[in-house]
Amino acid sequence: MKIAVLQFPGTNCEFETLVAVKAVGMEGEIFRWNRSAGELSGFDGFVIPGGFSYQDRLRAGVIASKEPVMSALKEEAGIGKPIIGICNGFQILVETGLLPGSIEKSSGNVDMALAQNVMVSQGKIVRRGYYCDWVNLRHEAPSKRCSGSFAIERGALLKIPIAHGEGNLVTTTPGLMKKLNDEGQVVFRYCDRNGRIINEFPFNVNGSTESIAAICNEPGNVLGMMPHPERAFFAWQLPAFDPRKQRPDEPGPGRRVFESMKRYIEVNA
Amino acid sequence: MSMNRKINLRVWLKIPDAEAATVKNTLIRRLGFGNVLDDVKKERLFSIEVDSGDPAELAKSFARELVNENKESHIVLIDELKFEEDYVPVKVALHIEDGEAISIRERLRSRLGFENVVDVKKATVWKLYFNTLKPEAQIKAGEIAERLLINPHKDSYEIMI
Repeated sequence: MKIAVLQFPGTNCEFETLVAVKAVGMEGEIFRWNRSAGELSGFDGFVIPGGFSYQDRLRAGVIASKEPVMSALKEEAGIGKPIIGICNGFQILVETGLLPGSIEKSSGNVDMALAQNVMVSQGKIVRRGYYCDWVNLRHEAPSKRCSGSFAIERGALLKIPIAHGEGNLVTTTPGLMKKLNDEGQVVFRYCDRNGRIINEFPFNVNGSTESIAAICNEPGNVLGMMPHPERAFFAWQLPAFDPRKQRPDEPGPGRRVFESMKRYIEVNA
Repeated sequence: MSMNRKINLRVWLKIPDAEAATVKNTLIRRLGFGNVLDDVKKERLFSIEVDSGDPAELAKSFARELVNENKESHIVLIDELKFEEDYVPVKVALHIEDGEAISIRERLRSRLGFENVVDVKKATVWKLYFNTLKPEAQIKAGEIAERLLINPHKDSYEIMI
């Protein structure tokens, strides 16, 4: 079971992502964007890690989305291989049209954007732009719906950090939000520590429509998420105020995303 | 009748613009525009609406706040916006709320005391240099905007000819 962790110029989370992949028992390697795209077919799954590909020039993720390696990745997605895009990886998948996956099948359209953060509280904009913090996520999809949350039960709460300036999901595509909700494509939402969805800052950390933090495509093999599970993979990575930090041998909540990917591949092999 | 005046600041880097170079490279190497496109340059555009004061003097003050003369050049256009003939200008702006424009307006009004500032709009102008005649160039400019320069869920564009 071999995973390619894609690296574009400006990616900066590839090494810790690779550690997470290997720590759950999968093989993996960093796959540079300028390798022969055909080599991707030798892998069982893919992670596009976070960072600032091409320095976020023009807008986050768009330059990377035009690379040949992404065309090859579309083909791999088409045959059901799992892909997880984390933060900038999510932005790249959106700009490629792999997420949410076009509402009109095979049109290849970009159906949404991850726009600049706008934090709203009590009807007022209280903050804008880049933000990093620990956030609480509620798993919204049924288990086994999506490759990256395959082994996570619906309603589970995960504490995972975010760090981004453009994570505000917006769309002008008619019917898209209804489709995402109706078909279980909303995978994680930002919530408070008790799992309540409160659609304003600081719970909705970036102004994202309906507090959405992660979505999958219609078949469920492609997941995009703004939070960084690889930064909460081990309990020792948790913040000082979290009691689990004192039990460093325990797994962190982010581990469940990588375990899910492994389980998804095992079940679908 | 509104007596508001509009001060347009066109601002560009006088050092090499890496973002424009990346866009040019992507258009030529990845999106197939190499046979028609010669060059790409970029400007920032601030359109500041004021309800009183001498716009020429205000423009100098605004430029001191918004332009870094160490690395940028600018020109001021009052109540008009025009561009040179040798490229196709494509103006890209957010159609969702533009937080940076709001921040600039509040900074000018509340922190710097320009209470005559009514509104600030911000855009990027992509200057596309083609080796084709204008009608085809304009069509290609539209294609470039839609295939790369904008995400239609947050941006809109206008070809400024």
